[in-house]
This record gives sequence, structure tokens and C-alpha cells, in this order.
Amino acid sequence: MSTPFRTTLWRVLLIQAVTLALLWLLQSRYTLLPL
Amino acid sequence: MHWINWAIVAVYLVVVVFDGLRRTRGTTNIEGYFLANRSLPWWAVGLSVMATQLSAVTLIGTTGQGATDGLRFVQFYFGLPIAMVILGVTIVPFLHGAKVYTAYEFLEKRFDAKTRSLTSFLFLLSRGMSCGTIIAAPSVVLSAIFGWDITWCVALIGIPTVVYTVLGGVQAVTWADVKQMVVIVGALLAIVVVLIMRMPVPLDNALEIAGATGRLRVFDFSFNLSETYTFWSGILGGTFLMLSYFGTDQSQVQRYLAAKSVGEARSSLLMSAYWKIPLQALILLIGVLVFLFYTFTPAPMLFNPQHSAQVQQKEPATFAALEARYSTAITQRTAAAREASADIDNGTKAATTSALLAFRSADSSVNVVRKDALAAAGRVTGEASRDVNYIIPRFVLDHLPLGFAGVFLAAVLAAAMSSIAAELNSLSTATVVDFYQRWFKREGTDAHFLFVSKASTAVWGVFACVVAVYAANLGSLIEVVNRFGSFFYGSILGVFILAMIPRTRAFGAFVGLLSGMAAVAAVSFGVPSVSFLWHNVIGAVVVVVVGTLLSVGGDRKLPTA
Repeated sequence: MSTPFRTTLWRVLLIQAVTLALLWLLQSRYTLLPL
Repeated sequence: MHWINWAIVAVYLVVVVFDGLRRTRGTTNIEGYFLANRSLPWWAVGLSVMATQLSAVTLIGTTGQGATDGLRFVQFYFGLPIAMVILGVTIVPFLHGAKVYTAYEFLEKRFDAKTRSLTSFLFLLSRGMSCGTIIAAPSVVLSAIFGWDITWCVALIGIPTVVYTVLGGVQAVTWADVKQMVVIVGALLAIVVVLIMRMPVPLDNALEIAGATGRLRVFDFSFNLSETYTFWSGILGGTFLMLSYFGTDQSQVQRYLAAKSVGEARSSLLMSAYWKIPLQALILLIGVLVFLFYTFTPAPMLFNPQHSAQVQQKEPATFAALEARYSTAITQRTAAAREASADIDNGTKAATTSALLAFRSADSSVNVVRKDALAAAGRVTGEASRDVNYIIPRFVLDHLPLGFAGVFLAAVLAAAMSSIAAELNSLSTATVVDFYQRWFKREGTDAHFLFVSKASTAVWGVFACVVAVYAANLGSLIEVVNRFGSFFYGSILGVFILAMIPRTRAFGAFVGLLSGMAAVAAVSFGVPSVSFLWHNVIGAVVVVVVGTLLSVGGDRKLPTA
């Protein structure tokens, strides 16, 4: 696995961005009432 | 528990120990025993890194935390990918390139022997104790669930782990970790499938009901130093904690020192960067789904069966009164949940909002009764309440189909054993390489050092089991492990950062390390409201500032890698 580090870094950032976006969607879709 | 479940657990234990014994062949020196001759592939090391960090505390305590508190704990891990990327370009090339056995050995090459010895000693102190806690945590739960003596539970987890770690060294530890991660992830996915299949209302409605209680709230952007889990404490404090843990803690460093090359070591760390947050979110989501399951199925008032029995026996009138209140409260909560689900399907928006508010209120009433029950349990037993750690084990044993409980118990043992094995292996490495070989016996045959290494692993194993038997009543499972490390972690990270700054000197590093620890102790005791996640930031910053100031005008010894 000799992927250039910059490519790997972008992959990590992309996966984290997608994960955080999914968590954000989960929160905003289902937390309808003010807490 | 059914004999088929026990058979699954027995098969798991036999396979792990047998594989460890098989890997004793071909190891003739300590480089093979501690570092597998630096030959392991990145994916095995990556799974080992993840398995080491995922302890039984995570599997039992964090799922329970998901059930009671929701998803917000996932913020704790937001700094992990950042830390992994930083480590990939900084400490990993230095340590791997320096061909060291321990992270602390590198500090002698860069600074001096006393800095190495002090950091290694702090590692032995904190990890030696926490290894006992890691065995104690699941032992306490197994003891209460099955009614066994705590010593037998410690033995069930400790003895197989010590056997395969002593005999097989890092080879056995790493390849057992790979199998253990498969068991753990398989068990988690199986539980998710069962929970979704058994949900009596559509999943979309169920999640909306959970959302009404705030359990699906992930992000807290408030900048509050006394709030443990916020977005900022996760990003800043979490990054420093993960940098310290994965960059300077021998139990983690040793995993990637055994990789074939710097590139493979880096890739193994990035595996966690990819998968840790999704995995942690899944674990917490299981907790939320269990909360929903118990919304529609009667839940025990106290999940710890021993606490429940003791309250019933010693204060029968109190118990009966609490049970009556609880029964009414959960019946009302179930009715409110069903009404909310019906309104989500067919009602107006106003009716849905009103029904969700009614459910939230009913859930609060259940929590009030549970709080009173936990207070009664604390009063009767004299123990702090840790009921959250019994939610998932009770659910698994009471409600999962035949065989699943065996797989889950095997997963709990796997999670505990993978963490303990890595700790024992690294404790032994630091003891032999940083102390025995450094200060007592520099020359010796391979056979001698191999024997000493195995003996040291065995001694640490026995020590950890003894600590586990007596430390069983320590406080909250999750926080104890994290708090103990945070006293030293940040300061040790600061020393490694100093090591990478040109012109910093040994004197500055040593005094800086002491100053950092003093600062963390002062904050911890003087301002206890500051969350422990910030301790790592404080420790690292103080060490770097003091160490750099004391190095002004010093020599120019540069990093060696």
C-alpha cells in the first residue's frame, strides 16, 4: 500500500467529511423538537 | 445461559490459545518476540491497533452510554483522524527509522537516559495499573450477571490471555487481534440486525421517537471547559489525547513498530483514521436501538441483578414502592411511544409534535424513578452505581436468539483480551529493554533475553490479574481508564514534540516533563471542573514551552532518524 501520502490524506478527510455529514443528517432529521 | 452459547465461547477460547501456542515456533530472539522481526503487514497491524483500543469497556460501557445518553460521546473521537495523519508524518517515521524497541528508547537517542527512564517508568506505572482495570471492568459485569465470584471471572479472561501472550509474543498478540476484531464487528452487526428486525414500529418512526429525547443529538458546539464531550473538546482535547496515546504509549507504538516498513506502519494507523468514528457511531447507535427496544418491551428497573436483589432483600418496602412507580411510568412511556408512532404515520404536524413532547415527558418520568432506584441501590450496597454497564449484557442474555449470547460473550472476551495482551506485551518490552537491558545486563545471549522477556510478561500478567481482583470496585469504567492516562499522557507527548524541535536539550526536556506533570496535577486538583480531555493539551503545551525556554543557547543535537 504505497499510495502517496497526500492522496491518503484526502481519502481520510473525505471519509471523515462523509461520516460527519451523515451524523449531521441523522441529528437534523430526527431531532425535531428543541431540547 | 444455554450450553450452545457456552460452546461458542469455549471454541473461541480454544482457537485463540491454540493459535498463540502455534506461533511460539521460530521465535529465537527478542526482536522476533517483541517486534515479529518487523515483518507484519499493514492490515494486520491496523486491525491490531483498533482491537487494542477497543476494550470490553467500549463494548459494554459505551453501548450502555448510547442507551442512556445518546450519540454525543462520538465527539470524543473527532480528533482521532487528525492525530493519525499528524503521527503519520511526524513520530512514525522517527520511531520506525530509529529501529528502536520502545518509544522511550528514542528519547535517550535524542536527549538522555534519565528522560527515557522517567517516561518509561511513567508508562509502566499508568499502564500496569490500567491493565488491571481493563480486566476488572468486564469481570465485574460477568460476576454480577452470572453470579460468579470475581476471582473466577478475572481468571476466565486473564489466564488464556497471559498464556498466549507469554508463549507467542507479538505474533500471537497481533494475529489474535485480527481474529478478535472479526468476532467483535460480527457480533455488533448481528445485534444491529436483530434489533432492527424486532422493532415493533417502523425504524424511521422509532428514530424520531429517540430523537425527541435528544439521544440522536451528536454535535455540541458550545465552548464549555467543564462539559466533557463537546465538538471543541473532541477536536482539540481529543487530538492531543490521541496523539499521546497512539504516538507515545508503548502499547500502541509497539503495534506499528512491528510493521514491515514506515509506509506500512503509516497505513496501519490510517486504518483507524478511516474506521474509528463510523465504528464508534455504530456502537453508540446500538445503545440507542436498545433504548428503543426497551421502550416497547418492559425493561428491568435496575439492570444490575445483584443490586436489584439486594435492594429487594434489605429494603423490601422501598423496592415494592419503586417497582409500582416504575411499572406505571414504563406503561405510560410505551403508550406514549405507540401514540407518537401512530401520529408520525397519520397525524398532523401539531399532533405529532404534541405526541413526541408527551413521550419525552413520559421518558423523563421513567428516568426519575430509575434515579431513585439507583440511589437506593447505592445506599444499600455501598457501591457507586454503574448500572449503565449492565444494559447491553442483560439485553443480550434476555432477548437475543440462541447462539447470539455466546457470540456476544466471545466478543466481550475478545475485546478485553486484545487490549490486555497488547498491554502485557508492551509492559514486558519496556521492562526488559528500558530497564533490564539498559541498566542491569547489557550483554547476554538471545536465549537469555528471550527467557527474561517471557518471564517478565508472565509477571505483569499475574500482577494485572491481582490488581483486577482488588480494583473491581473502582469508579466508572470508561472514565477511570481515560483519567488515569491523562495525568501523564499530555506531558509525555510534549517531550516527543520537543524531540522533534531542533536545538532543544536534555535538561529542558527533563525539567519540562516535570513541569508539565505538575501543571496537570495543579489543574486537576485546583480546578476540578476543567474536563480531563483538556489536561493533555495543558501538559503538552507546558512541556514544550518550558523545554524550549530552557534550551535557549544550548547544543545542536538533532533528531537521529
